[in-house]
Amino acid sequence: MRDNRRARVILALLLLTAFTLITLDYRAGGGGPLRRIGNAVFGPIENAAADVARPIGGFFSGLAHLSSYKHDNAKLRKQVAELTQRLRLTDAQRAEFVDMEKLLHLDQKAQFRIVAAHVVALSGSFGFESTATIDAGSSDGLRPDETVINGDGLVGRTLSVGPTTSTVLLGSDATFRAGARLEGSLQAGYVNGGGRGPMTFTLLDSQGTIQVGARLVTFGDLNNRPFVPEVPIGRVTKVSPPNGALTRTATVASYVRYGTLDVVGVVIAMPHAPPRDSLLPPRPTPTQSTTSPSPTQTPSTPPPSTPPASSTAVNPTPSTSKS
Amino acid sequence: MSRRILLAVACVLTALLLQATVVDRLRLPGGEPDLLLVTLASLALVGGPVYGAVAGFAAGLLADVLPPADHTIGRLAFVYAVVGYFAGLLEDAEERSVFAAVAVVALGSVGAVVLYGGVGALLGDARVTAHAVEHALVATVLYDVFLAPFIVPLVSGAARRVEPATTY
Repeated sequence: MRDNRRARVILALLLLTAFTLITLDYRAGGGGPLRRIGNAVFGPIENAAADVARPIGGFFSGLAHLSSYKHDNAKLRKQVAELTQRLRLTDAQRAEFVDMEKLLHLDQKAQFRIVAAHVVALSGSFGFESTATIDAGSSDGLRPDETVINGDGLVGRTLSVGPTTSTVLLGSDATFRAGARLEGSLQAGYVNGGGRGPMTFTLLDSQGTIQVGARLVTFGDLNNRPFVPEVPIGRVTKVSPPNGALTRTATVASYVRYGTLDVVGVVIAMPHAPPRDSLLPPRPTPTQSTTSPSPTQTPSTPPPSTPPASSTAVNPTPSTSKS
Repeated sequence: MSRRILLAVACVLTALLLQATVVDRLRLPGGEPDLLLVTLASLALVGGPVYGAVAGFAAGLLADVLPPADHTIGRLAFVYAVVGYFAGLLEDAEERSVFAAVAVVALGSVGAVVLYGGVGALLGDARVTAHAVEHALVATVLYDVFLAPFIVPLVSGAARRVEPATTY
């Protein structure tokens, strides 16, 4: 406890500095110079760290979620046996390949022009924020306020863009908001990220009806920024009772699982809008990821790490059990 | 002193990068531990209040600008400076017993979440709701307390080794 006076003065000075920084950044509105410097300096470091950390994280993540993996095990075992015969890839590469394939599939149906990227880091700050760093930046043609998707649907939008990395506001963040439309109608509203809770949908028409199971796509914004139209968001799981409010609200289960993001795509252009409701997943099993990429429609090349992927090694004989 | 500064820099950078690229991606149920907080508490317990406050401020500022962060810059610097100062006041508590160190980490975690949430509420941050603060409190405190017995001896031991006798 010695030297108490001096310690208190130093603490007071530090706190004063912190408050000054808070005030300056608050007035700058989030896009201040410090944030840009942070992006430029720490983005590449995080990229490198993520390359080292990815296998380690995958291992521990696997341990932590053994039970849920067991649940999927039987179903996946058959697929895995097939895949190991077709592709000599590691676990991580295989998961990445499936992600890429789905993304490519959605991308081709919609004719978006996308930049594919990996998630390299997620936000801390005691879990209040739900943001991610991806390993693509302004050198890849990204700009702030662009739509981020993956093979399942809407992931979020870009916030700040550094030279080689960008920050993405995920759909699970409490401040996330996007215009949304009910499938098969023109009824519009918006979805809100739930923070710790589930995503919600607000219908702007007090006379409109929301059915449980109804599916939502993005409405699209002016000039397609931040959001392009027709990207699947999720489906309604619960409709709140109307209690005299001017709007109707519902709980939404998003198609994208924000905790397990790996490969994402940033939409940098969309020459023409896709047909209405054409990007939603097949009806009977809305959350199943039954990607059946027809080998005829793969004009752009799949990722370089997977050359014998789709068409060459497909043999119609049923796969035997694993070796 | 200078070697201890180097040690602090190394520990803080390791904690920050591990947190962003590994720990936050584990999808642990409920939330995540805050490696930086446990590391700072360990450093402050050896170095004292001034060392703790300065290290906390600098580390918090780094955490504020580390890419996926999207809050007002200065918030974490404020929080960690306070936590570092008060942990430093209990200098050498972890030499007496590991429970004292765990208690410091637990109190520090509670204080950090409440302060961070409080400053956020003052700034009108929509992410700070009672529900979110509750969640963050439970998850952060439990995970930090679980990690403290492993991290505190490691970091404090290293700090003592680079600068054995003197404290600041």
